[in-house]
Amino acid sequence: MKDVSALIQENGAVQDRSIYWDDDIYLLEQERIFARAWLFLTHESQIPLPGDFIATRMGEDEVIVTRHTDGSLKAFLNSCSHRGNQICYSEMGNSKSFTCAYHGWSFGTDGKLINVPLENETYYNNIDKNRFDLRQVAQIDSYRGLIFATFDPTAPPLMDFLGDMAWYMDAFMDVPGGTELLGPPMKSILDCNWKVPVENFIGDGYHVGWAHAAALDAIQSPLTSMKGNAPGYEPKTSGIQVATEGGHGMGIIWDAAAALHVNPAYGEWINYRTEMVREKRGEWGAKLYNGHWDASIFPNCSFLYGTNTFKHWQPAGPRSIEVFTWTLVEKEMPEELKQYLSVMNMMTFGTAGMLETDDGENMEGCTGTNKGWVTRQGKVYSGMGQINEGPHDELPGIVSDGIVCETSYRGFYRAWADMMSGKSWEEMSRGGSRRSIKEVA
Amino acid sequence: MSAVAEKVAGKKVCAVNSEPPVEREQLPMEVMFEIERHLIREARLLDEERIRYWYENYLTEDIVYSMPINVSRYRREQTRPLPGTNPGAGAFMDNYELIGMRITRLETGLVWMEDPQNAIRRFLTNIDAEYLEDGSGDVIAYSNFTVYRNRRQRDQTITYGQKVDLLRKVDGKWRCYNRTIHMDQRVILDKNVYFFL
Repeated sequence: MKDVSALIQENGAVQDRSIYWDDDIYLLEQERIFARAWLFLTHESQIPLPGDFIATRMGEDEVIVTRHTDGSLKAFLNSCSHRGNQICYSEMGNSKSFTCAYHGWSFGTDGKLINVPLENETYYNNIDKNRFDLRQVAQIDSYRGLIFATFDPTAPPLMDFLGDMAWYMDAFMDVPGGTELLGPPMKSILDCNWKVPVENFIGDGYHVGWAHAAALDAIQSPLTSMKGNAPGYEPKTSGIQVATEGGHGMGIIWDAAAALHVNPAYGEWINYRTEMVREKRGEWGAKLYNGHWDASIFPNCSFLYGTNTFKHWQPAGPRSIEVFTWTLVEKEMPEELKQYLSVMNMMTFGTAGMLETDDGENMEGCTGTNKGWVTRQGKVYSGMGQINEGPHDELPGIVSDGIVCETSYRGFYRAWADMMSGKSWEEMSRGGSRRSIKEVA
Repeated sequence: MSAVAEKVAGKKVCAVNSEPPVEREQLPMEVMFEIERHLIREARLLDEERIRYWYENYLTEDIVYSMPINVSRYRREQTRPLPGTNPGAGAFMDNYELIGMRITRLETGLVWMEDPQNAIRRFLTNIDAEYLEDGSGDVIAYSNFTVYRNRRQRDQTITYGQKVDLLRKVDGKWRCYNRTIHMDQRVILDKNVYFFL
């Protein structure tokens, strides 16, 4: 395998193409990133009642996430401790227990082994059932309803892992009543490396006008002015891009939360809410709440606030992903508005979405060409905006002026390189300058 | 009998569909023929990319065009309400205006992935149609489909599913006012489903 420390260069602006293709790099990612980082699982709104569960994956590990009978959140491997068969094939539901289809061992909603068929007759009561509980995640926690877990007992607490990203997200997550994900998730396949959509969502303001020219034209919205990256469009004053510590980041277009919407109801809701947000979180809070965000939470979860799509890019081998798509809404929104936002999310970023289809094609293309040995010896570049970024007077992280740059690409790849080095959490610089949230607030 | 087997045998399980089919008035042979040819002609026009023509001549303006998500749950829970607010979700939840917007996008000539042109071929089979039970004279038509797509050089997918259409006669011509497309996949295995059926 190539020297891991040389895969990312120039402060995150240059990536070795093998990271989008090679099996051994992918396997190392599973060990050093997916078995260690906090990973998104689901939203509390998807498992509100005791016994509620969903089946998902952490990296390529199959897991069941439950609301245990005592109301706590649990997550454990979806693989029988007897002979390894997958236990649960239902993607969601409510159950008192999970019974393996092979020999009938059954487990509680906390993953504890509760029944072994013919226990007396075959094991003569000589089996220590505690040995065979399903392997739990090391830590599970939620941030304003979004549930995450990690397999690494040494990982910092979730709020430290999210760091300044949570401060930014609070602008729309910390609203009265909170948020919810509207399910069931759409699930689809893309034949691309998992990092390609993450980098696209974290900080690609550049592609919007060009890749999505047709959709921007058809939707006829305030963003239509970006169509074709034509002269006259001024990306510099349009917004900011942010790389926060830990490889998270976002691009925000000011005053554009409702920009991709044809129905004025959403804009009206945003206006109505803004005063409350301003009161609680000040002028920056109101500005963030009114912006349209493209964002990724390291390593493989993304969202667009404003367009309200929420994505989980699940790796399925080095060159394929399974995409889960939900709609992110505020719980207190009127039902018709939620319904409308769900329809528009699928219309834009579902698997038949007017923008998603443009992206999917490019993501596959950015992966597939690396099949060539010579191609794979090369590099790709995300160096845009290095001269107009830096610490900001009032906002945390590394902030650039302008939505069209690659500041948060670089933050993501610095964090990726850090985790791939196999360092301890204390040793990792985790990719960014950090100001304390207190200092900001 | 073991305790487990007794438990299973004693429980009412929802294993297969025990509901009888809805009894509906059958179409006379010439109407059945009309419906079949209508659906097949429609598929050909779409294969030929005459999408605007299709939009204006085969759909009503109150159409509901949907491709719902089929959640993969245990049979015992299939009818249980989903948690939280659940407006339903699907690749398509379109009305006439949204379908029009999707077509406008294709007409801009700015959809890079559609250039060069991609091949798409629709195969309809198992067409079954009956009069709706509401006495309106409208028709419910079931059909199974195969969609073959070939893109770029070697990018190829085949997808199967079922269409359930509600058709009404407007000025002497059949038009669809409700189409539900059931893809027989929980995880959409094609890179997108941005095409019409």
